Amino acid sequence: MQNFYKWGFETFFGSVFNTIITLLSLIILFFFINSILGFISTSEWKVVEVNRRLLLIGRMPPEHEYRVWPILWVASYLIMASIKTWGSPSYKDLLFIALGITIVCVIFTTSSTYLWVLTSLLICIFSYVITSFIGKSTTANNKNKKILILLWILLLPIIFTILLIGDGPKPTLWGGFLLNIILACIAIGFGFPLGILFAIGRASTLPAIKIVCTIYIETIRGAPLVAWLLLAWFVLPKFLPQFWGINEVSVVVRAMIILSAFTSAYTAEVIRGGLQSIPKGQIEAADSLNLGYANKMILIVLPQAIRVVIPALISTFIGVFKDTSLVFILALTDLLQVGRIIPEQDPEFFGRQLEALCVVAFLFWIISISLSNLSKKVEKSLGIGIR
Amino acid sequence: MQKKEKKQIGKEIITTSEVTKSFGRFQALKGITAKVYEQEVVVVLGPSGSGKSTFIRTLNRLEPHDSGTIIVDGVELNDDVKNLQYVRSNVGMVFQQFNLFPHLSVLRNITVGPQKVRGLKRGDAEDIAMELLNRVGIPEQASKFPSQLSGGQQQRLAIARALAMQPKIMLFDEPTSALDPEMIKEVLEVMTELAESGMTMICVTHEMGFAKEVADRFLFFDEGLIVEEGTPEHFFTNPQEERTKLFLSQIL
Repeated sequence: MQNFYKWGFETFFGSVFNTIITLLSLIILFFFINSILGFISTSEWKVVEVNRRLLLIGRMPPEHEYRVWPILWVASYLIMASIKTWGSPSYKDLLFIALGITIVCVIFTTSSTYLWVLTSLLICIFSYVITSFIGKSTTANNKNKKILILLWILLLPIIFTILLIGDGPKPTLWGGFLLNIILACIAIGFGFPLGILFAIGRASTLPAIKIVCTIYIETIRGAPLVAWLLLAWFVLPKFLPQFWGINEVSVVVRAMIILSAFTSAYTAEVIRGGLQSIPKGQIEAADSLNLGYANKMILIVLPQAIRVVIPALISTFIGVFKDTSLVFILALTDLLQVGRIIPEQDPEFFGRQLEALCVVAFLFWIISISLSNLSKKVEKSLGIGIR
Repeated sequence: MQKKEKKQIGKEIITTSEVTKSFGRFQALKGITAKVYEQEVVVVLGPSGSGKSTFIRTLNRLEPHDSGTIIVDGVELNDDVKNLQYVRSNVGMVFQQFNLFPHLSVLRNITVGPQKVRGLKRGDAEDIAMELLNRVGIPEQASKFPSQLSGGQQQRLAIARALAMQPKIMLFDEPTSALDPEMIKEVLEVMTELAESGMTMICVTHEMGFAKEVADRFLFFDEGLIVEEGTPEHFFTNPQEERTKLFLSQIL
């Protein structure tokens, strides 16, 4: 204990400079804590409570609300099963996941939806338990992995089927956090493979392909996303062919096209960095085995190139996920837009922007931090076998 | 030397004539005319920068040559993709830096070629791979990754990987130069065994003991030309050219 005091004194007040730094930090900390306490003591969360539905699914008509639950169930099953299969989570990780889910549930469960939420929670637990049961046998586990990968690929079609089947709501009525997630999934789902193609194209030795890809990447990256979204709003219909009414597609689809294009350009540059890090010897070895261009790329070059750039890649994906909130420019009500509007709609909630935005920020944060953890896990699991 | 008398030297399998290659303004090959016969072991010697590596890399078109002709197993190497594929699937190569695929297991490093190029089923390819791993003496490493192997083991794996394609000719580009001295022997043993089994081999190497033992013929390169060629006895007892004498005096 004596040592501890001595250590504390020397660390914080050991010299004049340290003393000044300590005092300054204390003052800043005091004001910081004071303002947070002030906000918490005066905050009124009713603005969030009343608008929970709006934050999550926007202006989707109440009679279509039931469509959202199956999506949540499928996603819960997939996410928990994948965490168990590939993540090998520690107790700390599980605690973290449980905490995140609990907070989200506490904020967003209402008396009319608690049964649905409960079902989702049960599916999460069921999924985890059954996957750990499957995981005991290696062959079953391998089969399960294949099924999960297939389900992940089918996830987007499943979501769209559920949302659109049998006279579903118009895509322009999709909103809230659901819209952000759908847009991000589409942008990453299409942007990533496209980005790989553009990266390979830009690294190609054929001048025509190289020039086309370079122009595409540099054009898309050269202007702000907001500009591209505005372009989609006003100009895109004129560029699209007039059959089947493609040129009149809904703004949601236009947003998807723009976000995918934007993601593909950024991903392409990230992956190109990875491609350049592959030693020439790898390509020569593949050539000397006569593997052929496609096999060489798919089996030898890309797996190594993508592995190198996973941190940058996930960081790009997180950026894209947050960029989806820019679709408010297309008059879509995404999560951030809902958070901005709700305090203004009722005189009772005037001046409650901070509460609404806190919840919005928290939702974005939950997804971003999960992606960031995913990146760490993937890096770790791919660590074996790296040169 | 008894062994070499018995060895059947077959018909021409590689014929090059007046092959040139430049990198920018530097001319690496200034007209190489050489022949290699089936089952022959040819060792390529020469000071660094003499074009010997470039020469064997032109033989499977890792470096396309600028002029002259290269005919491998009756097929001319040119821009024709079919010819290139024929040659590459019949010519195996072992590199100085091993160039193993670090993200694939030892076994998968070997099976990837047979499965994707020769169209073998996975099980068959794995059988062949295990056979080859036995032949090069590292069957117990099959499920590891290349980075977990020692340098000598890595190079032996690289030899097994090339052999899995059942090549008619093997090219060795300084296979022991990146190895620690105590690991050179194990790689040379595998190469000697391969030479004795009748594989046509072209080796760039500075291992004179090995060269003396297995080579049927030496090619001595200097400044992009073949300065002198002949049997090992000729080289070690009676070299004709000044440059050959100088080189041999430096490395022996």
